[in-house]
Amino acid sequence: MIQSRSRLRMNGVHISHPHSFLSGKSLGAGENKVVIEAYPGPGALSRALLRLPKSKIRKLIILESWDRFYQYLKPLEAVDPRVTVLPIDGYTWDSYSVIEEKGLLDDVMKHDWNAGIHPELHFIAQLPHGVYGEQFFSQLFRCMPTKSWLFKYGRVPMSLVLSQPMWDRGTAPYATNARCKVSVIAEATSQLQNAVRPSELQPYDDHFHPSTSRVVSKKAESKRAGQPHVAVNVVPHQDQLIRSDQLDHWDYVLRRLFVLKSTPLKNAMNSLAPGAPTLLKVLTDPELPPEERVNINDKIKNLTIKDWALIVRAFYNWPFSPEDLTFSNAEDFGPGREG
Amino acid sequence: MIPLTKRSTRRLETTLVSYSRQSLPRPARLYSSPSKSAHAPAFATSVPQPEAPLPYLPPNLEREFSKTKEMATFLHERQSYTILPTPAPADSSDTNTMIFPDTALQNMVSIIEACVHNLYDVPRAKTVFEGLRRRHRCDPLLHGGLYNLLLDAYIEMASVKEVEKRSHWVEDACALFEVMENGKDKVTPTANTYAIMLRAWVLFNPSSHRLVASTVDMPTPIMLLRAMIDRQIPVALVVADRAIRTTKEASEAIKMLSKAAVDMNLGKVVNELGMAEALGSRAPDPLDNVPEATPVTRAKQQMQVTHAQDGSVTDFGVSETAVEVEHEVPFNLANLRKHLAQVILARRVLPEDVAARQKLLEESVYDVAVERLKHQAELFDEIGLTNKGLGNNDLRKWMWEWHQKLKVRLKAEIATLAVEESKLSDGRGIRLSPFLTLLKPEKLSLITILELMHLQGGAGASKVMKIARALLSVGRAVEIEYKAEMCKKNNITMPSNPARGGDHGYFSRLGYRDLHARRVAAAKYMEDAEEWTSDWSQIIRVKVGAFLVDLLMDVGTVVRTAVDRRTGETVSEEQPAFVHSYEYQRGHKLGVIKLNSIVAERIAKDTVRETLHPRHLPMLVKPKPWLGHDEGGYLYNKTSVMRYKESTEQQIYLRQASNLGNVELVYAALDVLSTTPWKINRDVFEVVLKVWNSGERFHKLPPAVYDQPEPQKPEDFDFDPKAKAIYITRQRAWYNDKANNHSDRCNVNYKVEIARTFLGDTFYLPHNVDFRGRAYPIPPHLNHIGDDLSRGLLKFGESKPLGERGLRWLKIHLSNLYGFDKASFNDRVAFVDQHLADIYDSAEKPLEGRRWWTTADDAWQCLAACIELRNALESGDPHAFESSLPVHQDGTCNGLQHYAALGGDDRGARQVNLDVTDKPSDVYTYVANMVEEQLVKDIEKGNPMAQLLSGKIARKVVKQTVMTTVYGVTFIGAREQIEKQLKDRLDIPVEECWLAANYLAKLVLHCIGDLFSAAKDIQNWLNTCARLIAKSIPPERLSDTLRPTPPSQKGRPAPEQTLYARMRKEQMTSVIWTTPLGLPIVQPYRQEKRKQIMTSLQSVFISDPNSPAMVNSQKQASAFPPNFVHSLDATHMMLTALECRTRNITFASVHDSYWTHAASVDDMSVIIRETFIGLHSSNVLQRLHEEFCERYKGYKVPLPSIRTMIPKLPRTANILQISDDKESRTLDEQAVEDLRLKAGGLPIEEEPEEVEEDQGEEEDEEEKPKKKKAKRGGKRVVSSELNLDDKFVNLTDLLPPVPKKGIFDVDRVKNSLYFFS
Repeated sequence: MIQSRSRLRMNGVHISHPHSFLSGKSLGAGENKVVIEAYPGPGALSRALLRLPKSKIRKLIILESWDRFYQYLKPLEAVDPRVTVLPIDGYTWDSYSVIEEKGLLDDVMKHDWNAGIHPELHFIAQLPHGVYGEQFFSQLFRCMPTKSWLFKYGRVPMSLVLSQPMWDRGTAPYATNARCKVSVIAEATSQLQNAVRPSELQPYDDHFHPSTSRVVSKKAESKRAGQPHVAVNVVPHQDQLIRSDQLDHWDYVLRRLFVLKSTPLKNAMNSLAPGAPTLLKVLTDPELPPEERVNINDKIKNLTIKDWALIVRAFYNWPFSPEDLTFSNAEDFGPGREG
Repeated sequence: MIPLTKRSTRRLETTLVSYSRQSLPRPARLYSSPSKSAHAPAFATSVPQPEAPLPYLPPNLEREFSKTKEMATFLHERQSYTILPTPAPADSSDTNTMIFPDTALQNMVSIIEACVHNLYDVPRAKTVFEGLRRRHRCDPLLHGGLYNLLLDAYIEMASVKEVEKRSHWVEDACALFEVMENGKDKVTPTANTYAIMLRAWVLFNPSSHRLVASTVDMPTPIMLLRAMIDRQIPVALVVADRAIRTTKEASEAIKMLSKAAVDMNLGKVVNELGMAEALGSRAPDPLDNVPEATPVTRAKQQMQVTHAQDGSVTDFGVSETAVEVEHEVPFNLANLRKHLAQVILARRVLPEDVAARQKLLEESVYDVAVERLKHQAELFDEIGLTNKGLGNNDLRKWMWEWHQKLKVRLKAEIATLAVEESKLSDGRGIRLSPFLTLLKPEKLSLITILELMHLQGGAGASKVMKIARALLSVGRAVEIEYKAEMCKKNNITMPSNPARGGDHGYFSRLGYRDLHARRVAAAKYMEDAEEWTSDWSQIIRVKVGAFLVDLLMDVGTVVRTAVDRRTGETVSEEQPAFVHSYEYQRGHKLGVIKLNSIVAERIAKDTVRETLHPRHLPMLVKPKPWLGHDEGGYLYNKTSVMRYKESTEQQIYLRQASNLGNVELVYAALDVLSTTPWKINRDVFEVVLKVWNSGERFHKLPPAVYDQPEPQKPEDFDFDPKAKAIYITRQRAWYNDKANNHSDRCNVNYKVEIARTFLGDTFYLPHNVDFRGRAYPIPPHLNHIGDDLSRGLLKFGESKPLGERGLRWLKIHLSNLYGFDKASFNDRVAFVDQHLADIYDSAEKPLEGRRWWTTADDAWQCLAACIELRNALESGDPHAFESSLPVHQDGTCNGLQHYAALGGDDRGARQVNLDVTDKPSDVYTYVANMVEEQLVKDIEKGNPMAQLLSGKIARKVVKQTVMTTVYGVTFIGAREQIEKQLKDRLDIPVEECWLAANYLAKLVLHCIGDLFSAAKDIQNWLNTCARLIAKSIPPERLSDTLRPTPPSQKGRPAPEQTLYARMRKEQMTSVIWTTPLGLPIVQPYRQEKRKQIMTSLQSVFISDPNSPAMVNSQKQASAFPPNFVHSLDATHMMLTALECRTRNITFASVHDSYWTHAASVDDMSVIIRETFIGLHSSNVLQRLHEEFCERYKGYKVPLPSIRTMIPKLPRTANILQISDDKESRTLDEQAVEDLRLKAGGLPIEEEPEEVEEDQGEEEDEEEKPKKKKAKRGGKRVVSSELNLDDKFVNLTDLLPPVPKKGIFDVDRVKNSLYFFS
C-alpha cells in the first residue's frame, strides 16, 4: 500500500506523443505492432496509442499495478478489443512471465537476431523517476548481451519516456564528467535516439502528469528533480560487444574503476583487485597490434568503449580475477527484487 | 578481642603508617561474616531447612540488616555534583581553552615532547615551547610535567649531548626553574623539579670538575632545600626521584642536602635524609613475596608518615629509636625507591615474582612476537628445503618477511624524512620525524603489521577496513607503545589492590575518605614516578598511521598461484598483501584497505596469537587499581576508565570528578570487578578444542570450510531475468553467509587461542565503564560478557563448597541455562532431577553420547553446568564439593524493574517480579496474551490481519520489543524486530510479514503503554527535561546571543533569520547528570563536525573531539530515558559489587545478570535486594530534578525553540525578559495561555512535512487540493501575532514537576522470590 503510493509520487509522468515511437524516423518504426506498455499512469499515452489505426497497432498490453490507475484503465478493454490491461508491475520480471502464460504473446514470433529489428514487438515505458526507474533503466541494457527478457524474441525496439538527467547519464560520451557505468553499457549494447526534440516536450506541465510546479516549488524548470523529460527510442545492436558470459566481469570492472573516474587507469587498477596492476603489462604489451593496446595514462572517464572491451578481456583472462564478482553489489539490485 | 586472622594481620600492618585509625572501634560485622561458615565440619548434618522458606533467604538474614544502613545513608546524602561551564560555540570569541583543549596547541605540546625524547631535537623543542609560553601562558595543556620534561632535557643536553654549550643550557634551565619557582606561569615545582635542579648542582657545582661559566647563577642546595620545605615536599622523595639517575648521584645529593640542612640547623631534615640512606641500604625483604604471612617488621616501625587531607604525603618522621642500618648492604637507589613506595602508599606493592610474568607479557610483547615469527619462518624454511612450494602460505612466515623488509625500509625512509623536514622553515605544519623516532624502526614495523592484522581479524564479513579507522588504530598503537615504554622506564613498583574496602566499609564517611586518601596517595606516587607524557591529537595519530601503513602496503607482498584458464598452466604472481582503494558506501566515497584474499583466508585458519597485544588479553596479576581517569588496569598500557564517544567533554568531566574525589566508589567497584579471579574451564575447553580441530560445524561453532552448497545456476539463467535475479539474490546471500562464517571462525579462533594460552592460569579481567557507567571487561575477545561459548569456557578462579543450598542453586542454574526458567524454583529443581540421566550422559560423553546439552538455550554453559553437577553428585559428598562454576541471577526485564520502582507502579511491579508472587511472572507472556485478546476483538471487527495472526503471538514474537521499549525503541524499530520474528516462524507468508508486523507493532506498543503507564510517564518526563536542557543557553552566553549580528558583506541583514540561527548555534548544553555513586554522565550527542586531514595515503575526514559543536537536541532527548535507566542499573550493579566485596562474596556481572558461587547465591540475593531498595528509596527522580535545578541554574531557553512544547509545559512558566526593550519583550501569563490555545494548530517542529496527496481526486488532473499551504499559513499567523523570537524563559522554571509516585512500596522487593532469579 504505502509503497505503491510512494512509487506513484515518483513515477507520475505521462506523455501523449505516440507516433514518434512507432513511425517515421523512429528506429523502431514498423507496422502491425504488438506493444507492451509499462507505467501507463492514468493512460494519456495509452489512449493516444489507441488512436493509431489497427494496421499500426495490433495489440496493446498495458501493465499497471496501482489499483487507482488500473481501475481507470480497465474500461479501455471494453472500448477497444486490442487492449489488455493487467494489474501487474512492469518493474518485476515476473510480470512478463505472466504475459506469456496468458498467451498474449503466442502470436509473436521469435525473430532472428541478425535479421534486423523485431518487426512486431515493441516495448514502451514511462520510467519512474527515482531509484527504481534508474535501476530499471540500467537493467534494460543488461538484458541485451544475454538476449534475455523480451530480447529472447529478437532485437525488440523500446521507446522510453524518462527524465533528462537519467538520459544524459545513459548517453554520456567518453571524456565527459557524466560518463558512468550505465553510459558504457548502453553504448556497448544499443543504439539510442531522441524520438522527439526535447524542446517539444517543454514546458513540462503541458505534456506530463501530474503537473508538479504548483505542488512543489517555484524552482526553475531545469532545477526540478526529474525534469525535464525526454522521449527516446532504443534498439539493441546486432553485434553485441559484451559476451554473455562476461557480463558480470563488465559489471565488476566498470563499477570498481568508475569509483575513481578522474584517475588515470594506471593508478586506478589497484582498486580492481589486489595485484591487478599486473594487467597493465598486458594492456600495453608492445607485441600487440596498436589497436589492441590501451593508453593507461587515460583517465577512467576518458576510456572508449574499445578500451573497456580490452580491459575486461584482460581481466577475464587473468587467473587471479576475484571469484566473487557480485558481492556487495548493491547498485545492481534491479528489477526482480520484489518488495 | 580481635582474632589475629590473616586479614587482620594485614590491617595491623597498614595502620602503622596511617593516621591513627586504631583508635576507632571496629564494626563487629567484619568478623561475623558467615560466608565461610560452610567450612564448618558440622555443615552437612546440621542447618535445618525451613519448610516454606523464602528460598533465597539465608536462615540468618537479620544480622545483615544493619550493614545496609550506611549505604542507605550514603544514598540519601546530598550528592557532590561535578559542574563545569558549557562549551561555547566554535565561532565565538570565548573559546573555552581553559577547559577544552585546543587541538593545534595539543599538537605542539606533543611535538615538544617527541623532540625532547632521547634528546632528539631539544633546540627545536625549546623554540616551540618558548613560543607556546608566550602565546598560551597558563593554559592547562602546558602542564607542569612539560616544564619538568624540558628542565631535565636542558640539563641532559648540558651533561651529555652539547657539552660545549653547557653554560647556555644550564642557564636556560635555571631561567625556566625561576619561572616555575616564582609562579609566573602558574606552574608549581614538584619533587621532580627540585630533583632536577639538585642534580644540576651535583653535576656542575663549582667544586665539580665540570664547571660552568661563573656567570651562571645556579640555585644552591640551601636555596633548594628552603623552597622544598616551603612547599612541604619531603626531601626523601626528592632524593629518590627519577630525575636522579644513579646511586652515585643520589648519595651525592643526600650528602649535599644534609650539609645544607646542617648549615640551616634543620635537625629533622638531617634525620629524614639519614632515614632515606638507611632505606636505600636495606636489601629487599625476601618475605615481601609472601604477603599473607609477613609479620609486622621491625624496620617499618621506625617511620611515621603524615598525610594531608587530600592524602598526599606531607611529612615523614623518624621515631627516636636508632636507625638500624644494615651496613653490609651498600646504599642503592633502587632499594630506596622500592621501600619508599611502600611507606608512601601505606600498602604493599605487588610482590615481584607474581608481577613478573605480567610485566614480561606487557613489556616484551613485540620482542616476543618477533622471536616467534622468526622461529616459525626458520622452521618453514627448513621444511621448504625438502618440500618446496608447499606450506609457504603461512601467516607467520608472511608477517616475518614483511617485517624484515619493512624495518629496513622504515629506517631509510625516516632518515630521509628527517633530513627533508629539517629544511622546512619553522612553525609550519606538523613534522612527523620526531614522532617516528620515538620507537625503534623494528618496533614500528611490527606494530603496523600486527595492528592491521588484528583489525582485519575483527573486521569480519565486510572484508575491508575503513582507512580512517585503520590509520587511527596504528597511530594510536604507536602512541600507546611509546607511553608504555615511558611507564616502564623507571621500573615503578605497582600498587596492589586492597583485599576489601578499607576498614570502614565503602559507604561510611570515614570509609569514603579513607578510600579517597589512599587513591590520591597512590596516584600521586605513580605520577611522580612515571615520566609525564602528553596525549596525541587525532591528527598526529592519523599522520603517523598513514606513514607506516603506506610503507607496509608497499613492501608487504604475497605470492599467489593459480591456473590460467586458457593454457591450463599454473602461474604464480607476486601481489600486494594490502591494497588501498575506494568504495562507495551509501553514496559516500570511502577509502578502504583491502586484504589480499589469500591473506584473509589464512586469518581464519592460522594461529592468530601473535596479533594479540597484551591489552587485548586477560591479566595474570590483579589489575592495577583505578588511580585516576587514565591510570589503572594494565600495568603499562595506558587505559582510560571510561570509553568515550569521541567526546572530550566526557573526559573533562570525569577528570574533574576524579580530582574532586566524587567517584571513589566507581573506582572501587571497578576494582572489585577487576579482581575477580577467573580460570579456563578445562573440561569444556577440551570439548571445544576437539570440535574446533575437527573443523566441522557443531552447534554454534562455525565449520572450517563453509559447508553450505553454493546455489546452482538455473538452466534458464541467461534468458530469464527473473530466474537470474533469484539466483543472484541467493548467490549473494550465500557469499554473505560464507563471509560471516569466515568472521565467526576468526572470532572463535581468538577465543580458543586465548583459552589455550591461559589454560593453567588464574587470570583477571580489568574493567572500565561506558559513558553511562555500565562496566565492561577491557579484554575484548574472551570475557564473561561474551557469547555462550566464552561464558562456557570461563569459571571462577576460586572454589567454594556447595552446601545444600548451593547444590539446589546449581540445579536451578542448570535448568535456567537449558531454557526451563519460567517455572517456580521447585519445579526447576524437579526438572533437573528428572533429566539426571541426560545430564550424566552430557557430562560423560559430550560428543559421543546423546548430546542433550546441545539442545539447551545456552549450550556450552549448560555443558559446563552438567559436568559440574555430575562431578558434585559423584564426589561422594555433594555438599562438600568445591564448586567454581558461576551461578547467575538475572533481573527479569531489568529496565522495567527500574521504571516500576521509580514510579511506584503497582501493576508494573507485579509484572516484573518486584512484588511477592509464588511463581515467576513473565511480562513477555503477559503482553503476548494481551495482544491476543486484542486480536480477538479485531477479528470481530472483521480485520483480516487479525485473523491471520491469531494464535501465532508467542512470547518470543513480542519479547525483544517489550524489552527494548524501556530503552526507547521506536515504532520503526519495533516493526523490524517483529517482522524478523514473524519471518522466523515460517508459518506466515513472507510477503505478508511486513504488513503484519506493521499492524502488530502498533498493537504491541499500545499494550505495553497500557501496562507500563507509569513507565511511560517517567519516560515522557525525562524526555521533556532533556529536550528543554538541550535547547537552553548558558547565562554567560546570553548577551552574545542577542547582540545584533553585523550585516553580511552582501549587505543583507535578514535579522530574523540570523537571530534564530544564532540561537541555534548557541544551543550547546548537553544533558548531564550524576549517578548516586557520583559519576557525572555527559550525553555526547552533538552535530557531527569533521576535519579533512591530508596524509601520505589519502585525505581522511575525522572528527575533532576538541571542538564541540551544537547539541543534537533530538538525540539528546530520545536517548536520555534509556541512558538514565542504564546509569541506574549500572549503579545497582556497582552497589551490589561493593557489598559483595565487603561480605567476601565473589562477584561478576553482565549488566543485569549477577554471578557468584552457588554457595553464595543466597547471600548475594539478599544484597541484590538491599541495594535495589536502598537505591530506589533515595527518591531518585526528585534528586535528579534537584540536580537539574542546580546544574542549569540561570540557563535560559529561547521561546522560539520550544514553540511546540509550550502547551505541555506547566502553567507557571515565568516568562522573563532580558533585553532593554521592556514593552515588547515581556509576556504575561495570559499570553502564555493564549499560546497554549493557539499552539494546537502549530506543526511540530521536527515532524517531516508531509505532502498530503488525496488520491481520490486523481481523475481531475488539473485540480489538486493543497492542504499543506493552509498549514504553513497557520504557523505564520501565530508567530506574527505573538513575536516570540527574542523571548527567553528560565530553564528551571520550565522543567515539569516529577511524576507522582504510585502506591508500590519498593521495600516489598525484599520478599520477592523471583526479582532476580
